[in-house]
Amino acid sequence: MNRQDLQTIIHSEKLKEENNKYKHKLCVCCGAGCISSGSEEVLKKLQEEVITRGMESEVEVIATGCMGPCNQGPLIKFLPEYTIYQKVDCSNIKDIVQRQLVEKKPIEDLLLFADSRLTPFIDAREDPYYKKQMKIALKNCGHINPERIEDYLVHDGYKALDKVLFQMSPEEVIAEIKQSRMRGRGGAGYPTGLKWETVYKYVSHQKYVICNGDEGDPGAFMDRSVLEGNPHRVLEGMSIAAYAVGANKGFAYIRGEYPLAIKRFELAIKQAKKLGVLGNNILGTDFSFDVEVRIGAGAFVCGEETALIASIEGKRGTPKPRPPFPAESGLWGNPTLINNVETFAGISPIINNGGEWYSDIGTPKSAGTKVFALAGKINYSGLIEVPMGTTLREIVFDIGGGIQGGGEFKAAQTGGPSGGCIPKEHLDVKMDYESLISLGSIMGSGGLIVMDKSSDMVDVARYFMEFCMDESCGKCVPCRVGTKMMHDLLKKICDANGTRIDLERLEELAVYVKECSLCGLGASAPNPLLSTLRHFRHEYESRITE
Amino acid sequence: MTKISVTIDDKKLDVDVGKTILEVCKENGIEILTMCHLKGLTNTGACRLCLVEIEGVNKLLSACTTKITANMIIRTKTEKIKRYQLITSELFFAERNHVCSVCVANGKCDLQKLGYKTEMDHIRYPYLFPQCEVDTSHPWYVLDHNRCIMCTRCVRACSEVEGAYNWNVMNRGYQVRIISDFDTPWGESVTCTSCGKCVHACPTGAIWPKAIVQGQLEKKPEIIAELMEKRKMNL
Repeated sequence: MNRQDLQTIIHSEKLKEENNKYKHKLCVCCGAGCISSGSEEVLKKLQEEVITRGMESEVEVIATGCMGPCNQGPLIKFLPEYTIYQKVDCSNIKDIVQRQLVEKKPIEDLLLFADSRLTPFIDAREDPYYKKQMKIALKNCGHINPERIEDYLVHDGYKALDKVLFQMSPEEVIAEIKQSRMRGRGGAGYPTGLKWETVYKYVSHQKYVICNGDEGDPGAFMDRSVLEGNPHRVLEGMSIAAYAVGANKGFAYIRGEYPLAIKRFELAIKQAKKLGVLGNNILGTDFSFDVEVRIGAGAFVCGEETALIASIEGKRGTPKPRPPFPAESGLWGNPTLINNVETFAGISPIINNGGEWYSDIGTPKSAGTKVFALAGKINYSGLIEVPMGTTLREIVFDIGGGIQGGGEFKAAQTGGPSGGCIPKEHLDVKMDYESLISLGSIMGSGGLIVMDKSSDMVDVARYFMEFCMDESCGKCVPCRVGTKMMHDLLKKICDANGTRIDLERLEELAVYVKECSLCGLGASAPNPLLSTLRHFRHEYESRITE
Repeated sequence: MTKISVTIDDKKLDVDVGKTILEVCKENGIEILTMCHLKGLTNTGACRLCLVEIEGVNKLLSACTTKITANMIIRTKTEKIKRYQLITSELFFAERNHVCSVCVANGKCDLQKLGYKTEMDHIRYPYLFPQCEVDTSHPWYVLDHNRCIMCTRCVRACSEVEGAYNWNVMNRGYQVRIISDFDTPWGESVTCTSCGKCVHACPTGAIWPKAIVQGQLEKKPEIIAELMEKRKMNL
């Protein structure tokens, strides 16, 4: 297919007509969270109900990706009213359809957050939960059917790829990304444009683009939801990156625990190839790019880029010392660009709206938006996307609905096993890369676990240390033996058998493992320990036996 | 060859480009502690003993894997590095069951030497005392996991020099083990050529020839580098 063919399809009346054919769109969240609470059954029953009522010509029932408040699922959304019903089960489907579509009087008791808001919002966009959010990476998640490329095309899909291929040089694409000041969403926050430029500058007949979807932090599911809810957006981002750096082959490394994400991404690849926006001579140009999926086998360390590359090569997933960085010598020794799922999901909006638009969002040093996965003792756990610089208080209380059972906030854990805890004195911290680092935590990939008074911070540190100890690949001594020693010492203190000397050894080891480990896993493994020691030292002290 | 100037431990040196920090230090008589490094094999940077401080670099880098570049100011013996080497040494000893007095490598062991060099007088961390097996199934050699420090020199000697790929690593974290083929007894290996390179590459008493008693082990790790040099000359 060449460019004209695609344009014809995108601008054809048929596609728009098909999209506007129905008066109502009924979106059923079929993200992994809602599926596990029974949304597939709800979807089936809704489709039957619409047919029984003979409304199939005006109501379209579609399965979409994640809508956000996962613990309120199964969720269904009526468009264009934007009315969301929560905890839908098969027994109240008849009533909902009758009241919403026939009588036009929504059932207030079943609306989103009806159990916690005095007056729930009929238009969910008015709810503070959505009002405080800004969706860029998750833009179409929850509105479109991720298994249909047509749905993506209607929402400006592959427009950015078309733009870069026909109107921009690779240098211009890189300049645009640099101007956006976007930083890698995988955790470390390395400037994306700079990374692209480095790979672009290396001369090689073979370069690769890798999408890191090996999301392993406990409690984090941002990448999963993006891949499940809008796989084409990630694919388009990868293609744009490949064009910019001069790669013709890409790999999407998705963890094996995400079967739905793998299925939908593989389907997206097939559809994109059929349409001619992926494969040889994309849109009739000289640019060719192919993507293959590689499935992770459950090792946390394979989220580390050099270990991930080893895993794609078919080797044991262990990291290598850097330098050389993958940009110089990555997959099979070739220059390789490796970005996170969320990073790729943010590329096409930057191309479509310009780097300046993106850089105006967020804070001066951290531009754009960030997806967080809220979990723990919070009322509305699930997936949110907010501009960088939104305060923790806004996230926990305005968006997340506060602490379960009206409890008291104690700390929020960000960055998973590589991150740290933010105590309540710092609730007003702006969530951006620098502010979190200054508090001894990190942005990480976006996991945010909220803890109340019942959480024991020494045990929190022990839990994450156990995770790192189990997930250490065993290659380097500080991480292999150091995490085991630190875990045993933490366990001893947890059990109130620890002495002051144990605490001293623990602190010495923490600094040693942080500085000496070969890769990021080991280097960040002591973070939960160090940050709880910094903010909750008294909890350690009180356990010490003299 | 182009020369570049660098400073190592306050000594100004003109050195060849393209070499690693470790190579340059060795050539200039600057001692760097190593364990997983063996001349002739690829470097993995795993033991972290050769970490050095480089001015302007915010983390410690392993000397064996880092190429030296012009104007680098390197410090190899700061108090911090010496302290970290001591901790690494202690962790090695605490990890498995190292009892020098009953070991075939006693007096000739790199791990034992490391203990002396780091001036380790006792081990401050609790011994893990893991349950480790001894594989005596091979007709000539023994693999004793109690004395293995996971430097993977045997793995690399087997794959990179002999090309047999008998040795590999299984499990994760502190539970990693060296395995023969797919974790079968060494004696039943279908890939092992019994060449003995792993025996010479092993820095401790983990792999050793049978019929040897305490302290009698003679290893020649330098044969690995000699073999590789000879191969290069043939090419």
